[in-house]
Amino acid sequence: MEAVRPNVGYGTANRDIISVLHRAPVAYLVAIACALVLMSFGGYAWYQQLTWGMGKAGTNNATFWGTYIVTFVFWIGIGHAGTLISAILFLVRSRWRTGVYRASEAMTVFAVMTAGLFPVLHLGRAWQVYYFFPYPNQRELWVNFKSPLMWDVFAISTYFTVSVVFFYIGMLPDMAVVRDHSRGLLRKFYDVLCFGWRGTDRQWRHFMAAYGFFAALAAPLVLSVHSVVSWDFAMANTAGWHSTIFPPYFVAGAIFSGCAMVITLLMPMTMLFGWKEYVNTWHFENLAKMCLLTSGILTYAYGMEHFIAWYSQNPHEQEIFMWRIFGDYDWAFLLMVFCNCVAPLVWYFPKARTHWPTLFIVSLIINVGMWMERFNIVVSSTAHSFDPAMWRYYWPSGTEWGVLAGSVGWFCFWFLLFARVMPSIAISEVKEMVAPPVKGSLGAK
Amino acid sequence: MSASLPAETLRIKAVYGHLDCLLTAIERLKHSGFQGFQVTSPLPRHEIEEALYEGRPSPVRWWTLTGAVTGIVSGFGITSLTAAAWPMANPGGKPVVSLPTFAVIMFECTILFGGLCTFIGMIVHTGLPAWGIDKALQDPRFSDDKFGLVFTGANPGDRERIVAILQATGAVEVTTGDATVYEVPNA
Repeated sequence: MEAVRPNVGYGTANRDIISVLHRAPVAYLVAIACALVLMSFGGYAWYQQLTWGMGKAGTNNATFWGTYIVTFVFWIGIGHAGTLISAILFLVRSRWRTGVYRASEAMTVFAVMTAGLFPVLHLGRAWQVYYFFPYPNQRELWVNFKSPLMWDVFAISTYFTVSVVFFYIGMLPDMAVVRDHSRGLLRKFYDVLCFGWRGTDRQWRHFMAAYGFFAALAAPLVLSVHSVVSWDFAMANTAGWHSTIFPPYFVAGAIFSGCAMVITLLMPMTMLFGWKEYVNTWHFENLAKMCLLTSGILTYAYGMEHFIAWYSQNPHEQEIFMWRIFGDYDWAFLLMVFCNCVAPLVWYFPKARTHWPTLFIVSLIINVGMWMERFNIVVSSTAHSFDPAMWRYYWPSGTEWGVLAGSVGWFCFWFLLFARVMPSIAISEVKEMVAPPVKGSLGAK
Repeated sequence: MSASLPAETLRIKAVYGHLDCLLTAIERLKHSGFQGFQVTSPLPRHEIEEALYEGRPSPVRWWTLTGAVTGIVSGFGITSLTAAAWPMANPGGKPVVSLPTFAVIMFECTILFGGLCTFIGMIVHTGLPAWGIDKALQDPRFSDDKFGLVFTGANPGDRERIVAILQATGAVEVTTGDATVYEVPNA
């Protein structure tokens, strides 16, 4: 499909995009109410765990990493697409990012915020979370920087901080637009948030330089974060985890799930808020193509894991990979393969990847499939480890399901709130897509 | 509006609806020896930056470099010094100062410090927060669909020449500090 430039003027783009901030459709209010109900449910589940202890979670002596770590990796993966779209596609000057990158960045920030809850939940004694960080103390004890878990603390903290700053500076000019369309206290509120931005030549000059450097810094970060998360597993001498293929495999999976989540979130918003001039089939088709590419990489990685287990002649590796296919969690394996390898294939047909209902349904299937992938990796290797006496069947408890549902509510609540408070489409970049107003021609200057 | 300015300077604000007209005005003003004007636009246009700064790069890059170098040094410092504080704790039989394992922390610190310094550099050089910026630049049309060219401290003796250039290059509105509006026919 050819590139679609918005057929609007600068002023119309302003008014179209920020009109969402002045009205709340009923469907929006229903969605935010549902998010609040799910959040309360999750909060209650966590309260139960804090009151009664980790026994409320379904984890056992063999499967010490359960749903909390599965869901942690899932949300970190979701948080990948935003910075990929905003930073890497900015550096390669890909024009289709314009319509979708702001919402994707918001998705990244809120997904990482959600992911950050899970190590705390998994700790049990959440009030001792500061043990994660190196801080001077009277015992002169320091964290172990040789542990991949500590690498992860640094990787995720850095990713979150850089993503938030990148997200915020990108919004400065757009918050100034909202200020100029507001009155009274709201005007003052947005004026404070945008630091009094006025779009002067000096401001644009240094802003664009800083934005480019931020993109250059964030690009390797996108690739590094999920690599570091994968090392939480790959550095352990556990069958099914101890593999050098994990970093690219995890990064591809993260981009795959993140792009699918962008489709899942943006499609209903586009229809609800009437943004078809700015976010349309061209954008969704490109996201579907990203998913197709990464689905292919994942399929290769799944196959290669099994091949290497056979080729290595390591009985423990062979056992765990056969058990994944034919053991207690065979249903999880089959569901993962169907959702991540088979279902996206329908997007090889141009009609399917330009048909909105198909795009939406397949994106939902991918979201489920990517959670199942992490379930397969995390649970199966620990439930069926080296010592047969330690083989246990793990199934998430009601508390864990509650916290999982609560995390979905928490994520959706922040995302929906953002959509009503900030422009979810980058106004100044949309204007860059529009031909500038000229009397003669720019070439003559 | 002009009450807060020194008596010998003058504000002149021109509003443009077309990018090419604005670029012509910048060129003519520069050619006539006028400096010290600011241009506002609702979006970043490289033509404006090129016309005003002639390809000179932003100094923000030095902030990024300084931050990144500080980050890599700090990353190495915190990992190696804390490991050296407890040399008997030797997980996995690795050396006390093990570069491959510390490289991840060093990388993360490089990006973190580089990013934060870039942000600080941007704030410093853009002059943000700009809540007290000249009133002439606080025109809501400049974030909508108009371009602005503003002198905040022009010499009153140059007033007629500057206004003539702005009118001739297609400004849709020219306002001076004494609130006289020069309407431009057929703009």
